[in-house]
Amino acid sequence: MPYLSLLIFIPVITALVALFIPAQYTRVFPWLTISVNTFQVILFVLMLFHFQADGGLQLVEKHAWISLSLNNWGQLQAEYLVAVDGLSFPLVGLSVVIMLIATISSWHVSKSRKGYFALLLILNGAIIGSFCALDFLLFYVFFEFMLLPMFFLIGIWGGPKREYASIKFFLYTLFGSILILIVMVGLYLSVQSPENSTEVVHTFNVLHMQNLENFIPGSWFDTATSGSWRLWAFALLFVGFAIKLPAVPFHTWLPDAHVEAPTAISVVLAALLLKIGGYGILRFVYPVFPDGAVYFSDWVAGIGVVSIIYGALNALASKDLKRLIAYSSVSHMGFVLLGIASATTEGIAGAVYQMVSHGIISAMLFLIAGVLYDRTHDRTIENYSGLASQMKHYTAFVLIAFFASLGLPGFSGFIGEILIFFGAFQSQSLNNLVPLWMPIVATLGLLLGAAYYLWTIQRMFFGPFAVRANFADLTDLTTREYAMLLPLAIMALLFGILPQILLDYINPFAETFTGMWFSLGINANP
Amino acid sequence: MHEPASITSSLAFVIPELSLVASICATLLLGLFLKQNKSAVLVLVAGVAILAAISFIVLNWPHKPEPIFAGTLRTDDFAAFFRLLFLSGGLLTLFISLQKESATEYVILIQAIVLGACLLAMSMHFATALVSLELVSLSGYVLAGFAFNKASSEGSMKYFLMGSVATACLVYGVSLIYGITGTLDFSSQEFVDTLIQSQSGLILIAAFFILAAVLFKITAVPFHLWAPDVYQSAPTPVVAFLSVVPKLAGLVLFIKIVLAFNLFGQATIDWRVVIAGVSILSILVGNLSALAQTNPKRMLAYSSIAQAGFLVAGVATLDLAGIHATMFYAVVFLLMNLLAFMALHFFEKWKPLPTMANFAGLGRVAFIPASALVIALVALTGLPPTAGFTAKLLVFSSLWSTWADSGLTILLVLFITGLLNTVIALYFYLKIPYYLFLKETPSGTASIKISITGNLLLIIMVIAIIWLFLNPGLLMGWINRITFVL
Repeated sequence: MPYLSLLIFIPVITALVALFIPAQYTRVFPWLTISVNTFQVILFVLMLFHFQADGGLQLVEKHAWISLSLNNWGQLQAEYLVAVDGLSFPLVGLSVVIMLIATISSWHVSKSRKGYFALLLILNGAIIGSFCALDFLLFYVFFEFMLLPMFFLIGIWGGPKREYASIKFFLYTLFGSILILIVMVGLYLSVQSPENSTEVVHTFNVLHMQNLENFIPGSWFDTATSGSWRLWAFALLFVGFAIKLPAVPFHTWLPDAHVEAPTAISVVLAALLLKIGGYGILRFVYPVFPDGAVYFSDWVAGIGVVSIIYGALNALASKDLKRLIAYSSVSHMGFVLLGIASATTEGIAGAVYQMVSHGIISAMLFLIAGVLYDRTHDRTIENYSGLASQMKHYTAFVLIAFFASLGLPGFSGFIGEILIFFGAFQSQSLNNLVPLWMPIVATLGLLLGAAYYLWTIQRMFFGPFAVRANFADLTDLTTREYAMLLPLAIMALLFGILPQILLDYINPFAETFTGMWFSLGINANP
Repeated sequence: MHEPASITSSLAFVIPELSLVASICATLLLGLFLKQNKSAVLVLVAGVAILAAISFIVLNWPHKPEPIFAGTLRTDDFAAFFRLLFLSGGLLTLFISLQKESATEYVILIQAIVLGACLLAMSMHFATALVSLELVSLSGYVLAGFAFNKASSEGSMKYFLMGSVATACLVYGVSLIYGITGTLDFSSQEFVDTLIQSQSGLILIAAFFILAAVLFKITAVPFHLWAPDVYQSAPTPVVAFLSVVPKLAGLVLFIKIVLAFNLFGQATIDWRVVIAGVSILSILVGNLSALAQTNPKRMLAYSSIAQAGFLVAGVATLDLAGIHATMFYAVVFLLMNLLAFMALHFFEKWKPLPTMANFAGLGRVAFIPASALVIALVALTGLPPTAGFTAKLLVFSSLWSTWADSGLTILLVLFITGLLNTVIALYFYLKIPYYLFLKETPSGTASIKISITGNLLLIIMVIAIIWLFLNPGLLMGWINRITFVL
């Protein structure tokens, strides 16, 4: 069964079908969307049985797509090539779950429901497509295809400054993807497919790009002749994905987009779209340009550490609850960079683990902010105190999410971060990629993380009860809100207590990743 | 090369053009005598003639290179390809003009421009090139004033004055060239040989004058100044037409003349640098000026200047792959630019749109034209999943390869400028979707009545743009078989 294609295209096709349903049947659209989401979850569960944790790339689907003759410079070949491995499989699983929760969270959207759910479905397909595509052009198409739905979702259904935020989001991300496009063009023209020996076939296949033997001798990205061009390409491609991640100093679109986006879209943005940045670095940047990765390793790690500290400091200073969570995302994605930069098995596994874990936890955090905003239309932290006395269940979930996010042992965030620290601390002695002081400074981020979360808890939830603006009846969680928060809380706990469930998938990937890296013969010990 | 076909036997090769001439005469006469359903009948006659021309060209594919009319024109696949584009552009324009009362002159002028453009595509001689270009230009000046108001007349006058100067430049340049080479046939061996031998500085001056006139037609910087005023004031279907057919006609002539002056790489200067420079300037000036525009048509005028830069970018490689990429871009440009103006036209028929803010909330009132407009703009920006992306990818791929082969830095600069400009372009292209969908409907908007045929045409063009993205192989495979010899 073409599992991956079904996962990708069922939502897209459903979105097209939805366009033909008259808009006045408003009740149809959420049900249609949620049935697609449920179908995807079932499909993913079926995939669990077919997927071998240590089997490398699986569920491969490969079809010819574009094949153009380009006269004097050979043949252009792009394929419909989708597959999952230990890196993408957990992220696909995460996407399926988060999209389901996003639909539940959008249940009461009132403004043009038809458009909203159609766009959400298109976004759904594009996200899963990005995680599965192993053809660079196909990936790029899915990657770009996310932008327009996201632009409209933030711009139409967002908060007061939504237009500004949506345009800023679009421009920043497009700038990043143009950097990716620049490298992609150079890359496919430098790589030839080993499957065809009679003529030069320029391929977009990422697996071929990852093999240095497939670079056409004398081409611009050939290791023998390229000189500094490969380093430039690494830098451009890295920045392209770092904007998406986002890493400081490319992060400024994120707080605006998050604050203005409707809750469900914030959830998707934080839990899934940011992961595509990290995924891109692990899938494209590092394997294709390992020499650049060695050369720039302290930059990558440095940007990671700066993101950790700067994000945390900004979170500490944020007055808006959603802005605080947005900056905490910047901080937590910094850990991903630190782990990747170390290029150790632990570091890579930790980075992937952190991405999945942050996906779960940030979704929870944004839902929590949404719960409060739904009731009072105000997210200013200092306008609340003593919420614990009025909303007991809500407070329980807030505590779980906050503690999971600040990395308390027993929650998934802890596992990701501890693995990253293992990797980063080892790096200096093992491969000399990340200097020892960087992880030491990064530990400060953990401290700051504890500080802003605990301070927020203290300000908002403890003390005498008061709501200082837009006072509304603060009812506790509804069943619908329970249905969103409870699965996420269980997952955060489950992956915190039994990390092996997830590591079984991630570890083989991390091992082949680092293994392949060193088998390329690149001297990581200068 | 064998002896050129005689005048009478040449006629068989220009049946499409003859059919246009016949239809122009028929339109003229019918316009005099018809009283009822005038516009429908005229458009029908013209449409049939154009369809006949298209079918003739398609049925006779492939076209062997054949010099006709004493070597002043030549039929080949390259010319036939562009003739098909011009004819289709004319047909689509007539189709959108069908819904309004089109005067006889209007239908005639559209056909005259198509005729001129087709002849231009076949020209191998400066005399025929000049005459065909003038046919395109003169008809264009009149069409630009077809709104019959002050602004439109002003635009038309500006276009006319500047266009006349451009023509004068062309004639002057051609006369210099005739003085140096003694021939006006720029495909002849004599032309090339004399130019290679003479190495005179005059050649550069002559080439500059000639190219200035051609770049004026393409609206490439620095010869673009007329475009915004004309585009803003002329009727939208006319602008749609003028932004596509004369521009692509200019592009054909540009490709031919540049290849001629390149002298198979033996020219004194590297023309790739010049073209790349023009391209970079057009992209930058067009995009940066478009940022500040509030009038949608004026913005699209600047966008079309930037698009001229992209059209010329593929030519900057001066090799077959680059020209093939340009031809692909030309097809996609025709589709997306016409679609953008057509969708705009649907809204304009309903209410005047002096600023983009007037689009506020219209997306919900007229979903299909609004979505078509958004898709056209996304394609013009060059984002997937539209053919605009594929076209840009091919052009930029050819730039990269030529840069990688030649190490000519300006091509890399063009490559990076072009791609980064996508971000700038997105900002102003997004303004229209922004108002269409993100802004609320002002109170008191009724629903727009749009004919089913109109919607259907928009949908077909949207499908074409997306289909060319999903399956570029068919068109590109066809283009790849077109070899181009000067």
